[in-house]
Amino acid sequence: MMNYLRILFLVILQALVVSRITLFDGLVLPFLYIFGILMMPFETPRWLLLMVSFLTGMLMDAFTGPPGLHTSACLTLGFLQPLVQKMLSPREGYDTNLRPTLFKMGTAWYVTYAGVLTFVHHTWLIFFEYLRFDHFFMQLLHIILSTIATILLMVLAQLLISPNKSRI
Amino acid sequence: MGNLLALLQRFHVLLLFVVLQIFSLSILFSENNFHRKEFVRHSSDIIGYIYEKRDAFTSYLRLSEINEQLALENATLRSLLPENFSLLDSATVLIQNPNQKYRYTPAKVVNASVNRNRNYLTINKGWAEGIQKEFGVIANGSIVGIVSSVSEHYAVVMPILHTKFQGSVKMKGSGDFGILEWLGGDPMFAFVKEIPKHVQIHEGDSVITSGYSSHFPDGMMVGTVAALEDKPEENFHRVKVLLATDFRKLGWVQVVKNMTKIEQDSLEHSQIILDGGEE
Repeated sequence: MMNYLRILFLVILQALVVSRITLFDGLVLPFLYIFGILMMPFETPRWLLLMVSFLTGMLMDAFTGPPGLHTSACLTLGFLQPLVQKMLSPREGYDTNLRPTLFKMGTAWYVTYAGVLTFVHHTWLIFFEYLRFDHFFMQLLHIILSTIATILLMVLAQLLISPNKSRI
Repeated sequence: MGNLLALLQRFHVLLLFVVLQIFSLSILFSENNFHRKEFVRHSSDIIGYIYEKRDAFTSYLRLSEINEQLALENATLRSLLPENFSLLDSATVLIQNPNQKYRYTPAKVVNASVNRNRNYLTINKGWAEGIQKEFGVIANGSIVGIVSSVSEHYAVVMPILHTKFQGSVKMKGSGDFGILEWLGGDPMFAFVKEIPKHVQIHEGDSVITSGYSSHFPDGMMVGTVAALEDKPEENFHRVKVLLATDFRKLGWVQVVKNMTKIEQDSLEHSQIILDGGEE
């Protein structure tokens, strides 16, 4: 339940606050709301994760942008997330009490995990938003800078919110 | 059949992903994108409500910015007030009366100097307002100078405080004529020359315009006698006059248009030609 409330909160936060962060004439545009999807437990069934991603994207689309844009990007994110987790998993698999967070998994793991998925999501989103390549390097810069901004915000959020005792 | 079900079960995630992705991309690339967009945005009362609340909050945060805009607009509107227009001359007498000899146009002094030998004033009325060269300029009923050059909306005035200025004046009591001139220096004082020594002049006597020159009406205040600085070898008085106009505090002036000036000047000029030149 907590996971879904978090997603809802993050989508509203994204629509009302984060989307207003446009540094350097919109070159840096973080999408913090995917943090809620990235926080879904390891043991979430893949179909459920897909549905959650789909609904998150729909909700986000209701707030902003052309319909289907965030939905599509979130679906891709939800589909790839377990695969990335599998790639990064230790040999014996994830412990049942582990969560995909900065403090449970460590900085290196988390930055790789969030970095890959955020980059994919942002690339998908920005590619389908523009659908043109005449400013390829500008778009690439837009994607990379926005990805960095999103990851920074996600790390910052965890540093601020997570209780001290959970730190490793 | 069993194989198909097994296949579906095996790839159900991929299948679900593909179906949902096709769905979302078909929304994204649907023909009437605009209508869908509008539908999604405005159909949801909840989201509209949330955005409205956000606006209510953020507009409160933008108060200083809004204040700034309002102040700017205030300034713009204020600049439209009548007193800001140099072209406004509601005080101009516009009644065309054949007996009217002088017409006055108010003007604001926009630039002035008093501490040189040849001082000038700039006023904010020009030929667009009917100002011409050689018009007299007065302030508070006392003379200031003569218009020396005119542009569309501005005119430059040669005041008394100019070493080339000469004006025809007379003593108020006796009516004896003299020439007003300024020799530089103190902007408060000028001199009247060419009044014969036999004329009795006292400190405090008023000096007024003679009406001989076409610039000013008869009897306008010029100043009061401050001292007699006669020289023994001269047959005329040197009358030091305290000017009635304080040029250092000049704000508004009136430009005097002599309606009969052209007639008077041309008549005098033709007489000079009849006499065989000006000598």
